[in-house]
Amino acid sequence: MIAIAAFTVRQLIRQRFVIAAVLVTVVLAALTDWGFYALRNAHGPNGRPISQLELKATASILVILVAYLFSFILAAAATLVASPMLSSEIDSGVLLPVLARPISRPAIVLGKAVGMSLVVVAYAAFASSLEFSLVRLATGYSPPHPAAAVCALATLVLVMLALTLALATRLTMIASSIVAFLCFGVAWVAGIVASLGPIYHNESLIRAGVISQLLLPTDAMWRTVAYFLEPALVLSRAQAGLWSGPFLVAAPPPISMQIWTGLWIVVIVGIAMRSFATRDV
Amino acid sequence: MTLRVERGVVFGFLGPNGAGKTTAVKLLLGLARPTHGTGRVLGGPLGDRKSRRRIGYLPELFRYPEWLTGREVLEFHSALAVLPHADRKREIDTALDLVGLVDRAGHRVATYSKGMQQRLGLAVALLGRPELIFLDEPTSALDPIGRRDVREILADLRARNTTVFLNSHLLTEVEKVCNRVAIVQRGRIVADGPLHQLVGSERGLRIRATCDGVPLRDVLERFGEVEDEPNGALVRGLAHDHVPDVVAALVTAGARVYSIEPIVQTLEERFLETMDAK
Repeated sequence: MIAIAAFTVRQLIRQRFVIAAVLVTVVLAALTDWGFYALRNAHGPNGRPISQLELKATASILVILVAYLFSFILAAAATLVASPMLSSEIDSGVLLPVLARPISRPAIVLGKAVGMSLVVVAYAAFASSLEFSLVRLATGYSPPHPAAAVCALATLVLVMLALTLALATRLTMIASSIVAFLCFGVAWVAGIVASLGPIYHNESLIRAGVISQLLLPTDAMWRTVAYFLEPALVLSRAQAGLWSGPFLVAAPPPISMQIWTGLWIVVIVGIAMRSFATRDV
Repeated sequence: MTLRVERGVVFGFLGPNGAGKTTAVKLLLGLARPTHGTGRVLGGPLGDRKSRRRIGYLPELFRYPEWLTGREVLEFHSALAVLPHADRKREIDTALDLVGLVDRAGHRVATYSKGMQQRLGLAVALLGRPELIFLDEPTSALDPIGRRDVREILADLRARNTTVFLNSHLLTEVEKVCNRVAIVQRGRIVADGPLHQLVGSERGLRIRATCDGVPLRDVLERFGEVEDEPNGALVRGLAHDHVPDVVAALVTAGARVYSIEPIVQTLEERFLETMDAK
């Protein structure tokens, strides 16, 4: 398993996934930071320069928006990294001599899952740290719980990796990528629909949201990220019901949802291991 | 399909496209699971991990990670094969030397020709001196020099008592290296046995000679069934130890003998005959 995990890490580095991701992230962070610098010189409606409080409040909302964009990029990256790992390697024949070695198929799936997780989570931590540091440099604002937000973001990525890997044990690369990303999109829409439940006091909408979060906990993880990025000022507005939406949450999903997400990842990786062990190649 | 391959045999597994050769290899390696039936490889059940430690495999569809060098591919496989750390470098060097890839070992697989990739696949299969090696069409991408090298490697394996399970369409190759052969058609074994038994059933002599006095047929008829040919005759049903008698009879009859060629049925002829019969 360790040999496969080490091989997967090396594969992602040597196939220039890491360098490409780092370069794109640096460019993206530089562009957003340019915007944050511009914000410092912005003016309010009456023409006066914005206050430090307004600057930090605006920066906090923008950081959540950037994190939201970033969660999409990470979900897509996880899908595109995980889908060829099994399906393409089976189709091309690269895995045949590997499977003939004295290594179990579940160990191969687990090794690939661990290797990909290490790379993608490290990338998420690097990109988040870079963005947070640049925002701080530009505006003096730091999110209240950056480490916890990065952990939740990494968990979201692990959910997508596990889902795509499980699909890739049976589907082609393109099919597994499309299905995984469709599931992500459906969970995202379900999360928005569910957030309307409390506003309209509609139990069915709330229930639909909970069910979708249980089936694919990406939206729950995003809400956890958003919660940890909200400063007290924004959080109080959200809790007062003044602002709402997918970018502002009044409370994080319950701890049971965090536990469920961890279990979900373990179960889905287990299903991927079982699925790969029982297929012909 | 019922098949038994003894240890130390270089076994040729022949059959037309779609006969089930590659499927049989995949079943024996545990890459595919049988719908019914059982099998044992090196004393273990099909796909047994302990047995797989002692097995090498070159697939028909050979592809190796293009971003690795040839040596790195072998390092990866020596880790998967759980070779002792102390032996890995030596084993890798030996395998590279055997397949003639020492000079290109440090280059990325992406730069390899198809033939070089097949040589690398052969090195992967030979790594760690396995007791049993499955080679699925090992010379399909090789030039004549590569094919000769593979023949020499197989001869060496045979000398070392390594069991080789060789799938191949190239019957002349199989004939040169295998000591046992089975022919499979539509998933069934239709011929199986030592090579000399399968190809030695039809014997005879092709004689190029002229005889002014007596017709050649009259001289040769007592040795077997005679067919007239331009510049000579073909005598069927003749054991090779009767060749001196035939020569003596021809010389006594005043014939001028240019050549006498013993005729043995080739594997290709036997293969085609078996296919036609079915």
